[in-house]
Amino acid sequence: METVTAESPGRSGPAAFRTRLLARRPLAASAFELSLAKPAGFTFTPGQRVRVHHAEAARDYSIAAAPGEEIIRLCLRRVATGGLSARLAEIPLGAELVFTGPHGYFTFQASARPAVFAATGTGVAPFCAMAAAGVSGFILLHGVAAQEELFYGDLLREKAAAYVPCLSGGRAAAAGHYRGRVTDYLRAQLPAGAYDFYLCGRQEMIRDATLLADERFPGSLVFSEVFY
Amino acid sequence: MKIYTGSGDRGKTSLFSGERVAKDHERIEAYGDLDELNSVIGALAASLPHPAEGVRPELEAAQAVLFEIGAWLATSPGSAAAGLLPPVDPQAAAALERSIDRMDAALPSLGGFILPGGSPAGSWAHLARTVCRRVERRVVRLAAAQAATPGDESMQRSIVYLNRLSDYLFVLARHLNRIQGSAERLWKR
Ligand SMILES: Cc1cc2nc3c(=O)[nH]c(=O)nc-3n(C[C@H](O)[C@H](O)[C@H](O)COP(=O)(O)OP(=O)(O)OC[C@H]3O[C@@H](n4cnc5c(N)ncnc54)[C@H](O)[C@@H]3O)c2cc1C
Repeated sequence: METVTAESPGRSGPAAFRTRLLARRPLAASAFELSLAKPAGFTFTPGQRVRVHHAEAARDYSIAAAPGEEIIRLCLRRVATGGLSARLAEIPLGAELVFTGPHGYFTFQASARPAVFAATGTGVAPFCAMAAAGVSGFILLHGVAAQEELFYGDLLREKAAAYVPCLSGGRAAAAGHYRGRVTDYLRAQLPAGAYDFYLCGRQEMIRDATLLADERFPGSLVFSEVFY
Repeated sequence: MKIYTGSGDRGKTSLFSGERVAKDHERIEAYGDLDELNSVIGALAASLPHPAEGVRPELEAAQAVLFEIGAWLATSPGSAAAGLLPPVDPQAAAALERSIDRMDAALPSLGGFILPGGSPAGSWAHLARTVCRRVERRVVRLAAAQAATPGDESMQRSIVYLNRLSDYLFVLARHLNRIQGSAERLWKR
């Protein structure tokens, strides 16, 4: 696995790497995990992402594995026919992929305040990387429409001080699950105080959670990664 | 990627270091002015006459340095996020000095205050210079408030860089006016 041309503009943009698809497994009806070979020389900080270039498309995906692992794990939702996520759901094992990276600054910064990790759907990916790399003691809110979408629950539950699945759809929530959106939980359940909020996934959740932080949790820090 | 998040609709925004601050916070004012400077340099680059094409890489290099300075301006001193930022490279100011000396060697000596203006590109360079001075004043104020905290070195280097960039833009304005045959007009009392 070698480095190909650094293609981003500017003085020292992230390098481009070639990799291979080693494995794919379903996580839920419309979500799946890709395992990519880690190219020599590629390093990253948990919370960072790669930009996968394939068939003239380029899309960002957060890395869901720790830097110490031998593979790069990505966690994807298949959102559209014809789009890159649909292609990646089908390309054969062994296929070559090119990515640039690492990109982004959505990394964990330890502080005296409790950390609240709030994700919608596949937005949980950067938190998996942080947890796998040893970050612990956070409050994790995972907003999903159905229980089967609570992927990576074992890893996250093990490292979290509180793991709160937030189910917005379907029937009454099971024990230990919160019935409602992530933002409903922040509005009605999270005790007042100052926190470090890490928000990842849907723009609407990030907007509403940020405005709630302004209103209910003054003195908090807000870091966000908008997927769409 | 979504351009808008909507989380600033009530007059607040996030610093790179995570704090939620009012949009007229001194840091936001500073990097807002820096953004203005970067855009004026973009307009300057767009107006370069053909014989001055060689200046373009210098302007693009300056724009890249301004992004790095902007990240420091958007970050509270001593925050964990400051540890993620590359330090401002002191060589960037040295490179400007070399360019200043190169252009200055071919210019007539200054006989007084010159009226800002001249050719379109020369006028953009003058405008960029004045915006650069405003950014410098803002950064000096911020640096005074955070002296002796981590990141202070990058703030000091930013001040040096902005000071040198203003000088560069002044000499560049004269250089562009000269190669376009636009005579300098001196201030007459
Ligand atoms: C910084 C960043 C990190 C990202 N990390 C991930 C990640 O780890 N996992 C991941 O699955 N996606 C992630 N995305 C989204 C990803 O880059 C693509 O947008 C997504 O895969 C859709 O691309 P597409 O070509 O298949 O479909 P497109 O035709 O480009 O998009 C179709 C529509 O799908 C919706 N959509 C996009 N992403 C999602 C999603 N994750 N869940 C639900 N709906 C979505 C949007 O409304 C979009 O307009 C990230 C995006 C950004 C900006």
